[in-house]
Amino acid sequence: MMTAEHVDQRAIGELLLDADAQARQLLLDATGDDARAMLRTWGEVVQAAGDLWSALPVEPGGSPADGATLAQIEAMSRAMHRAQLTHGWPGEGPTDERLSALTDTLRRAGELAAGPGQRVRLATEPARADLRAARMRTMHTLYVGAHAVGVAVRQHVRDTEATTSPRSARARRDVPRGVDASVRLASMEQLAGGYVGTRYSLTMAGQHYAPPANSERLRQAVATWDIQVHRTLASTPSPANLHLAANAQAALATTGAALLGAATRAGHVDQDAYTQRLAPALEHTQQAWTQSAGRWATLTTRGDRADPDLVHAAGELRAAAREITVDRVGWADAPTIAGRIDLTQAAPIIHQALAAAAELACVHRDVVDQEPTLTGPARVLAAWTRDSLALAVRDAAPVVAPVRPEDIRLNRIVPLTDVVRHTLLTEAEQLVDLTQTAMSVGSVLAHAPRDRGPADQAQAEAGCARCRPDERVGTAGAAMQHRPVPR
Amino acid sequence: MTTPTLTPHDAEEALAALARLLHHAALGASTRAQTEGPGSVLHLLGLGIHVVAAEAAALVGPEADPYWPAPTQQDPMELLRAAERLARTVPVDASTAGLSAVVVGIGDLVREAST
Repeated sequence: MMTAEHVDQRAIGELLLDADAQARQLLLDATGDDARAMLRTWGEVVQAAGDLWSALPVEPGGSPADGATLAQIEAMSRAMHRAQLTHGWPGEGPTDERLSALTDTLRRAGELAAGPGQRVRLATEPARADLRAARMRTMHTLYVGAHAVGVAVRQHVRDTEATTSPRSARARRDVPRGVDASVRLASMEQLAGGYVGTRYSLTMAGQHYAPPANSERLRQAVATWDIQVHRTLASTPSPANLHLAANAQAALATTGAALLGAATRAGHVDQDAYTQRLAPALEHTQQAWTQSAGRWATLTTRGDRADPDLVHAAGELRAAAREITVDRVGWADAPTIAGRIDLTQAAPIIHQALAAAAELACVHRDVVDQEPTLTGPARVLAAWTRDSLALAVRDAAPVVAPVRPEDIRLNRIVPLTDVVRHTLLTEAEQLVDLTQTAMSVGSVLAHAPRDRGPADQAQAEAGCARCRPDERVGTAGAAMQHRPVPR
Repeated sequence: MTTPTLTPHDAEEALAALARLLHHAALGASTRAQTEGPGSVLHLLGLGIHVVAAEAAALVGPEADPYWPAPTQQDPMELLRAAERLARTVPVDASTAGLSAVVVGIGDLVREAST
């Protein structure tokens, strides 16, 4: 059962766009080996598309023939399924995960169309145009999907003919049934293609699109990133994950400065607060995160892989930030950014990101300080230890744990040396200080669109939940003084 | 047919080489962004390359190294284009499932970097 936490929040249009993209992706990846699993799953895709089509509102004055094409495709799909059962081919076995995901997306769109979608009134032309676009997208998904499955089936037939004797049981079973399936799929493809015809771009132009609600995407991406990075670092605090986390935080600080710069020019943030305090604080945290990313990059070892969920969250964070702040290859100017996002909403998002960054810096420090499983390549650690040794002697740092020559020769993966851990910890402490200063300075952003609530006040004065007592005092002091960050 | 056929071992090594090119392109972009300063838009491009590099690394088997040794080129854009050329030689089959997203990602990044 789907919990409230995992309900897909996308609208019908977004789901259909995703379904279309999944079908196109399928076309890139379809191979002969996938044919049987795809044939087992294709019928579900058609059924989900048919249910969605039926659930979409009926256009006033529309002809019953409008739904005839999909009804024909559904009938063909059912006939193909019966033939598969009769001939026992492709038989039982695994389904195709990509087509199953496509089915789920179409089903979710169908649920929405059958539920909240029934309240839509088609009184205006834009609403009717949006409905036509939804139907067109559904049919286009079937068109591309049928082609992809057909490609896989034809490839399977060719592979079978090339690798088996014509008299073998496999060839006598797979080749004629594969040819039969490909003919049926080609018929479905042609029917869907006939509907799409040359009207695709024209019809899709009527799709409803609400441009600058993009602050929601950025807000969601920042929140999702924050949750995911905590989950990942709690379970797998590896150098690859720490590298990606630090790199994304650096990019977020850069984006934050660009957004706040635009908000300042639009008059939503105090000019002095931005130039004297916010921009320098963001620059310093950006540089500290970049330095940290560089450190973890050198410690990444051959078997270390970044958590796929973290990679996905970082990709979404970048996409959300980029679509607002970048124009071609440079930063978009303030009016362009203002046309993409309500800048009064940008300040609180950056404020939350600054608070989250301070907390994450504490997590990062705790990982460096307490995580016993941190490792690195022996040669990197030896070179780093050697370079730090002079400083260690000068500053009377802790005892150096040498890297064994045998480990260096084979470049084994070994635990961090004390010197390296000490260096990382020193830098992590600096990062904590800088991010907490930025969070304190960022408290001015809480005033921008709304009155500063008690929670904001308390957070600015108390620091983050992971702050050590001495750090909390420093944060409160910084918040009260709004001191400029030394350049 | 102009694309040379790769054996499974070749494909695995090509994937690892692809991941290495992307990893070092990301590091190079990050270094260049640092040189340009904290406000450089290259930080966002660098993160994009990093994300695709991590996706490529996830496709590489545990025996291969997706990070080292470093490629001979140093320019991040050159590395990105080299990765794009190399990606064309990797077959799309069961052993490289998921590569399409990496190929599309590289294409987007090349276009983004050179627009």
